[in-house]
Amino acid sequence: MRNSYFNYLLFGLLLCFGFISAQQTVSGTVSDATGPLPGANVLVKGTSNGTTTDFDGNYTLQSVPNNAVLVISYIGFETQEVAVNGRSSISLNLVEDATSLEDVIVVGYGTQTRAAVTGAISSIDSEEISSLPVATADQALQGRAAGVSVVNSGSPGTSPVVRIRGLGTPNDNTPLYVIDGVISSGLGNLNANDIESIQVLKDASTTAVYGSQGSNGVIVVSTKKGSKSGVTQITLNAYTGVQFTTERYDVLNTAQYIDYARAITDPVPERITNPAYADFLKNDVNYQDAIFRTGILRNYDLALSGGSENSNYRFSAGYLNQEGTIIETEFERFSFRANSNFTAGKLNFGQSMGVSFNVQNPERADGGRSLIEHAIKAAPYLPIYNAENLGGFQGASSAIDGQDAANPVRVQTLGVAINKSVSIQGSLFGEYEIIDGLVFRSQLGLDYNNYKNSIFIPSYNEGMGTNTTAFAQITKNTGLFQSVSFTNSFNYKKTFADVNNFELLVLAEQQEIKNENVNASSQNPISDEVDQLSNTQSGLSSASYKYNRIGYLARLNYNYDYKYLVSASIRRDASSRFGPNNRWGWFPSASLGWNISKEEFMQNTAFSNLKLRGSYGIVGNDKIGDYRYSASLVTEFIYPINDAGVDGTTANGLPNANLKWEETEMTNIGLDMGLFNDQFTMSLEYYRNTSNDLLINRPLSVSLGFNDPVITENVGSVESKGFELNLGYNDYEGDFTWSATLNLGTSTNEVLSLGGVTSIPGGSFESENLSRISEGEPLFYFYGLQTDGIYQTQAEVDAVFTANPGQTIVQPGDIRFKDINGDGQITADDKTKIGNPYPDVTYGFNATANYKSFDLNIFISGVAGNEVYNTNIYDLEGMPRLFNSGVAVLNRWTGPGTSNTVPRALGAVQNVGASDRFIEDGSYTRLRNVTLGYTLPTSIFKESISKFRIYLSGQNLITLTDYSGLDPEVGSSTVINTSNYELGIDRGNYPQPKSFLFGLQVTF
Amino acid sequence: MKKIKFILAFLLCVVSINSCSENDLELTNPNQLSPETFFKNDAQVQSSVNAIYANLQTIALYTRHIFFMMDNMAHENSGNPQLEADKRQYLEFSFDSSHGAIGNYWDTCFRGINKANFVIANSEAINAIPESFLSQAKKDKYIGEAKFLRALYYFYLVTRYGDVPLITDIPENGVGFPRSPKEDVYQQIITDLQDAAAVLLAKGAEENGRATSGAANSLLGKVHLFRGEYALALTAFEKVYGNYSLEDNYFDNFMEETEHGPESIFEVEYNDDLGDSAKWNSDVTGAGPNEVTFRGQEYGMFDWFNVYPSDDILDEYETGDPRYKANFYSVGDSYVGGVITAINNDRRAGWRKYQNYYKDEHEDQASGINMKVIRYADVLLMMAECANEVVSQAAAVGYLNQVRARPSVNMPLLSTSLSKTQVFDAIVHERKVELAGEQVRFPDLVRWGMAAEVLGKYGFQAGKNEIFPIPDREISSNENINSADQNPGY
Repeated sequence: MRNSYFNYLLFGLLLCFGFISAQQTVSGTVSDATGPLPGANVLVKGTSNGTTTDFDGNYTLQSVPNNAVLVISYIGFETQEVAVNGRSSISLNLVEDATSLEDVIVVGYGTQTRAAVTGAISSIDSEEISSLPVATADQALQGRAAGVSVVNSGSPGTSPVVRIRGLGTPNDNTPLYVIDGVISSGLGNLNANDIESIQVLKDASTTAVYGSQGSNGVIVVSTKKGSKSGVTQITLNAYTGVQFTTERYDVLNTAQYIDYARAITDPVPERITNPAYADFLKNDVNYQDAIFRTGILRNYDLALSGGSENSNYRFSAGYLNQEGTIIETEFERFSFRANSNFTAGKLNFGQSMGVSFNVQNPERADGGRSLIEHAIKAAPYLPIYNAENLGGFQGASSAIDGQDAANPVRVQTLGVAINKSVSIQGSLFGEYEIIDGLVFRSQLGLDYNNYKNSIFIPSYNEGMGTNTTAFAQITKNTGLFQSVSFTNSFNYKKTFADVNNFELLVLAEQQEIKNENVNASSQNPISDEVDQLSNTQSGLSSASYKYNRIGYLARLNYNYDYKYLVSASIRRDASSRFGPNNRWGWFPSASLGWNISKEEFMQNTAFSNLKLRGSYGIVGNDKIGDYRYSASLVTEFIYPINDAGVDGTTANGLPNANLKWEETEMTNIGLDMGLFNDQFTMSLEYYRNTSNDLLINRPLSVSLGFNDPVITENVGSVESKGFELNLGYNDYEGDFTWSATLNLGTSTNEVLSLGGVTSIPGGSFESENLSRISEGEPLFYFYGLQTDGIYQTQAEVDAVFTANPGQTIVQPGDIRFKDINGDGQITADDKTKIGNPYPDVTYGFNATANYKSFDLNIFISGVAGNEVYNTNIYDLEGMPRLFNSGVAVLNRWTGPGTSNTVPRALGAVQNVGASDRFIEDGSYTRLRNVTLGYTLPTSIFKESISKFRIYLSGQNLITLTDYSGLDPEVGSSTVINTSNYELGIDRGNYPQPKSFLFGLQVTF
Repeated sequence: MKKIKFILAFLLCVVSINSCSENDLELTNPNQLSPETFFKNDAQVQSSVNAIYANLQTIALYTRHIFFMMDNMAHENSGNPQLEADKRQYLEFSFDSSHGAIGNYWDTCFRGINKANFVIANSEAINAIPESFLSQAKKDKYIGEAKFLRALYYFYLVTRYGDVPLITDIPENGVGFPRSPKEDVYQQIITDLQDAAAVLLAKGAEENGRATSGAANSLLGKVHLFRGEYALALTAFEKVYGNYSLEDNYFDNFMEETEHGPESIFEVEYNDDLGDSAKWNSDVTGAGPNEVTFRGQEYGMFDWFNVYPSDDILDEYETGDPRYKANFYSVGDSYVGGVITAINNDRRAGWRKYQNYYKDEHEDQASGINMKVIRYADVLLMMAECANEVVSQAAAVGYLNQVRARPSVNMPLLSTSLSKTQVFDAIVHERKVELAGEQVRFPDLVRWGMAAEVLGKYGFQAGKNEIFPIPDREISSNENINSADQNPGY
């Protein structure tokens, strides 16, 4: 319907332009070697008159001039042009594009044919990105690219932690994101369905063009554009389903809890002994079941696209609503995108613009503890609700329950927490071809985000004043982020003597980043009705940051007949984050490639592709925060003078005017192989990255007396290295076709130097440091005591504490720690490396099979060789004082021989200090996705619908792991927001849901 | 050729489009003040001086630890079972160089010195402020406050650690300073106090809480006394003598409502109304609203009651000395909650000095009572000590009797014909009962050479425990101090 309407419109337009000559209707069938080819584009050359073939490969084109030329194209096939010559029936066979020479991929500041690539690039296509129901597009990267680690969180709308080729710095390891050529802050606001492709740039030859920002790797995203086929397409994608978590910690029920409390407390809490509270003891609440629920996930995308040779466009709108599996957590997004391109002779203009509105109800924390921690610790005899209490909830009271766990349902549901944001991401560019092959391009980019986070918690009292607040708390934080970039370049591309392919790029770029925020909070002691700020106990602050950058780049690519490849680039960057002494830096790279399969001696062999390539370069990291090189003053001291508080100001610390970028030397060697016309493909990479001049905070001599007791210096060095493997197989012949890919990346890192600093502490829990950085060890390795069973007798205790005989702190029933330094006592000096949070291996396996109209996709991803510090074990088995606990405490040590794994209750403090007791193997293999789809024959829809597919899918249905927690994938914590330090520390993090979805895809 | 020119022109154009913004790389932090533009008016100079005081109000000093350190080591306190290990170590002299609070005491004093140096090192900038914005007298006074406080912090350090790094400027690089001989440190303290005494305002002309010329002279006298320079000490004290007077009511020295009375020379300020949200935040920085002290909470018999008055201090009081009841609560005494019928753990007494129990039933971790650093009674007793050495016993007893004659104390006056030794013993006794629990007795015992004799039975080792160990944190972060430089015995 729409097609024909549009054609009439075009017909009318053509009439106006007086292009009418002798015209007729042309029809025919397009096929490939195996039979009819549905979905192929057929276009009258030089016009926007075109169509696509139906399910049987048939097409009909009206108003075709007799002297016209038809252009028939299909992805993966060579495009053919056929002169009509007055014929009314034209059928033809398309030939598969044997050489992947024309396979163009997007790289930094340009495109490259796959055959000419000399760097390490992983490509992810739109199908892989949109095959999973993801709220943020970066989640879809998991398991898709070798060497890219993505750690997801179950919290709806929360971006995952993405790391490329492991960790290279104790500072910010976040990769650089580039969307449609514009350096952007991330993919969190992008609708996954708008993405055409993602390229992950991993080595120096691909990242050094981004100079001071490329050392953590670069993720280049291209959004979908309209086609040039002349066909207007409307596509609808919709899915809906349920999300749930089935994992629970096995905690004590009321009867078990009462027995346990009676056994370990003296006096026994009054709630248990006093008959006045007998009614309470009849309750048996599972607080984990109280905070988890089944959530509904809905997503609708509608896109309109089309175009001709001279212009194309795509408009899309999306709506996503994800209810989290924890009560009152939700993410909602409205997204809009408009992309268009126009060509007029030698001029080419284009724009892309995406706008999204996000609303998130986050998981809320109380006292720096997660909901799951509260849910484990809550006494099961306490009802969730109690109408007699202010706020309506019941919680523990120290006085009569002997414990003080907060009610997790109150924490999450009383009042409201809401994060709203509006983001705009767009680019505008113009290109002009000055002479043949020389193109001038100018691009303006914008990345804008405005957020408003608010929390309102009315007054409450969970009973008897333990968990209570006598006033309403109101917090409103708002801010904006704005990045404007301006890029101008000349690109000259020329082939001499048919075989000498040159491409030279010269570019200048500048970027201005602004960050502003205002944070306000107040208390309202007289009313819970008003959720607005007042000046009672109010706190106010605001800050603004600016960050400017200038860069120049030159890049030369040369190849001899795609056989011998050379590429070199140099970038010069300046940044306002550094002092005048070190404001400018050079970032060079060079790479070589040899397409062995193009050599004479390789012809007529099984090898369709065989390429050896290598690269070396220096890339920078300037994610160090603003204004750090300059001296500053602090006004944060208050002293009473005449009984009024006066402000005090002093110098903050010792500035380091010589601060400069962290630099990473990257070496990469790669081998690509394709066998039997690329039916089987393999590629192998080896990389070694050495990061130098890492910014380390060196503690200053205490007696210097500075307010800031550290000086930031470029002194550290980290090496990370590993292998990456990609294997692919595809069988495209017959009714049954299938393909499978496996990717796998290894990564190990070692701190070579900290410039004299012995160690830098990482994450901590219950005042215990859990991880650290020190020379000769991987970044943020876990550090603690090593357990060696449990002391059964006093004699066993005395045998260890030879230097401190007669001590009474450690007794039989306490954990025996290894006396690593052999000094006859157990102290902090016996701490040692007890785990590494970064996996040795990350991998993904994807298999797709088609049988006639059915399609099946299986996607598996996993990690191996990493450890997780499970702080939940502290709550489940720690027994530092009375709380509800895991069932393991029923088998605790109560006398010689009773247990060698679970210590006595309320034992020595060291029992719950940092130790390998809390370390678990974090390896897992997860069935990330399985989808079964069916494409309905288009014949039942007549002309109006060209594709109609329905599918069922399931996510995270099976996870193989030895990890005892709810989710071995320990993503960013809702409780603490220092992502690097939090690596591999499970604080009751939001587990990822399992889900079942039903979806449909319709193309009109 | 034409084409190439065209291309070059274009290239130039592109580069110039982007390079004209190079000035934008020079950005200043809009969120914090910059040292280059500071010290331009009265408020800024005053603010830089205010900051120096804030280190007195830290957990390491008057907010939580200095009273435990001094009162415990002097055994004016005994410990209840709930007394935490690090504070029990003061009683047992079992602390070592890893002791947290001993490290924090060092740390916060040097932070105070750095803040003072920030003012003193910028004297030139301060003096360059036009007279119309800030008078020369006020400029001098501000720098005088900084010098007084630098001297005070160095006095805290040199008496507790011996040789310490002597830093009198803002360090320009991260290289640590070696320990300077005690003598050099004392000379700097004396110079600073002499300078300060000359420019500081007199009490009454100055705002409550700030250092005065009286405070500088009193501290100068005390420093000389500690060095056995009795004549010099007396000269300094004479400048104070008569400008202050004793409170009629002894207990008025220790109540919130009677702060800055006629006897007060220098106090550490607290005021609960100004907020305490930062009181646990840092042991050393003094940042944020931390305008309360834990003294009441820690010692209070109706609160944590971590320590109680030792038998040694209780037994020192002469029968009928009203200062016993002013300093201690016993069963039968009244407080705002009524009559005390029992004391936990059956102790003989609990501390009354610096407690809020005269008006509050509990301390609530928020005492606003100022802590006295030097008061006039202390000065009179120090003058007695000097006079006993270099003037006459009669003159000494004269000073001492002023303290005993305080209306609310009114103890029998001593005879002016006592021997030098008898006068000395009387001074030792009078200081012990008058200044009980005021962080004075332990340094007294050390300088009198009596510490081993009095405290030996508790673990005090002569030649070691007179001073603290240099903190581990300093040794590990300062390339110019290593473990070989550690104080003897540690």
